[in-house]
Amino acid sequence: MARMKFLCDAERCIECNACVTACKNENEVPWGVNRRRVVTINDGSPGERSMSVACMHCSDAPCEAVCPVDCFYFTDDGVVLHDKDICIGCGYCFYACPFGAPQFPKMEAFGSRGKMDKCTFCAGGPLPDNSPEEYAKYGSNRLAEGKLPLCAEMCATRALLAGDGDTVSEIFRERVTWRGASGFAWGWGVAYKKPGIRRGYEVEGKATGGD
Amino acid sequence: MSHRAQSGAAHRRIIVWSLLSLLALTLLLPLIPYAVAYVAPVAGGVPNPGSDLWRAVREGEAGTTQVQGVDSGILINASGETWRHFRMQQLIPLGALFMGSVLALIVLFFLVRGPLRIQGGPTGKKIQRFNVFERTTHWFTVSIFWLLALTGLILLYGRFVLIPVLGPAGFGLTASACKEAHNLFGPMFLVAILMLFVTFVKDNFYARGDMMWLLKGGGMIGGGHVSAGRFNAGEKIWFWIAVLGGLVLSVSGLILDFAVFGQGREVMAISHVLHGIAALIVITVSFGHIYLGTAGVEGTLGSMTNGYVDEAWAKSHHDRWYAEVKAAGSAEHETAPVDDGSPARDGVMDTRG
Repeated sequence: MARMKFLCDAERCIECNACVTACKNENEVPWGVNRRRVVTINDGSPGERSMSVACMHCSDAPCEAVCPVDCFYFTDDGVVLHDKDICIGCGYCFYACPFGAPQFPKMEAFGSRGKMDKCTFCAGGPLPDNSPEEYAKYGSNRLAEGKLPLCAEMCATRALLAGDGDTVSEIFRERVTWRGASGFAWGWGVAYKKPGIRRGYEVEGKATGGD
Repeated sequence: MSHRAQSGAAHRRIIVWSLLSLLALTLLLPLIPYAVAYVAPVAGGVPNPGSDLWRAVREGEAGTTQVQGVDSGILINASGETWRHFRMQQLIPLGALFMGSVLALIVLFFLVRGPLRIQGGPTGKKIQRFNVFERTTHWFTVSIFWLLALTGLILLYGRFVLIPVLGPAGFGLTASACKEAHNLFGPMFLVAILMLFVTFVKDNFYARGDMMWLLKGGGMIGGGHVSAGRFNAGEKIWFWIAVLGGLVLSVSGLILDFAVFGQGREVMAISHVLHGIAALIVITVSFGHIYLGTAGVEGTLGSMTNGYVDEAWAKSHHDRWYAEVKAAGSAEHETAPVDDGSPARDGVMDTRG
């Protein structure tokens, strides 16, 4: 089993938003919801950097901790998923999430929140793998087909890496060594520093974006 | 001769000292910036552009993004972990401890002391304490308050208490109903609190004797009779806790309820903190109020059901109010009701003014 992680290389991201578009298209997410977004810091100034961010599938996930109905669960790959049949749309996961991943479609009366939607690492939800019901509620389940998240597969500059954490960090470490410039795995300290409730992920796995 | 030798020695001394001074200056002058830096260091030292950038991001500095949404330009939500810690490590366990200990103390007090009896027993002569409008305001507030308190407590503690009973799907449905009820009826609580304020505020200002009432613990500490007006100091404190707590709950609740005005996560998290603390305080203090209004003090409940209390009750608990009512000399007040709670008598207007 792998321990799935995302890594975005800020030295490579060119803010093309292809990952955002790929995600929307692949998962048919509700109108107004973006599971992934690209944020540019110092836009137009020297030192400008861009970062593609979505749910980082934290080890000790704050969303899971604060959820009043306990609708989150972890897959064997370390992916954080949730059950929309249990979610009540309270928004607590959004207050707690470090990355602003949970999204809420505004479709209910008086602007109240609908059921939460977030990046699934293209791993669907608790319904049967690749069933039409699963697709309608959670989007694509590429992991069940042996594929990795489409956002990273689509990334033209290979800035966004997705896959087993060890493989991803090995690719990134090699890159940093070769270019001799600074680079660090943004968000990893926040997402994976804590041991969390699941431990002992095995090393082997696969990753996209190797070069 | 000696003069020349003397002047030669002085010359040499000057040269040596000059060279030494030069050497010292050459060595020390370059150290001045270091000394300055040591005394008044430049903030952050030599800046590393990369680390500065990511530190700012870590602290919640916003960038630009094509994605429209609340806080979507912020990469790291700096307040999230603090809020999580507050809710999971402080609000939930300490709130349960607070409510549980106060409930346990009340039960213990009742078991040890029992209810406070009317001195000399009831006389059978009744006077009106709350008119129908005051009672309506009270029970309207009570209904909304307990609807919100119960649904709120289910949302706060249900994960630990109710999931083992109802199962995840069953509790999901319950919690969903609770959330909708809480959010729909929440704004009504502001109306109830404002009505409560307008109805009862005139008798809830500080009056002479309130401090003595408090110092004697409402008659529990030391001997002697404690004097009180229409409301004693304890009831006044409860009134202000309910009104001020209710206002905090209403305002923070409205911010949380209507998430459509672009308020960010930080504002929502602060509102949630205030909402949680105020709710647990008002709920816990209400336990004391309910106890004193029902089992704790004999003859009190009638004041909020049919509106009447026994004269002996009024004399022993609210002597100054009793004197005022007697001085007003209204006939209605002295009319002993034939049977408690008849609708006809509820229509009797309060003539206390």
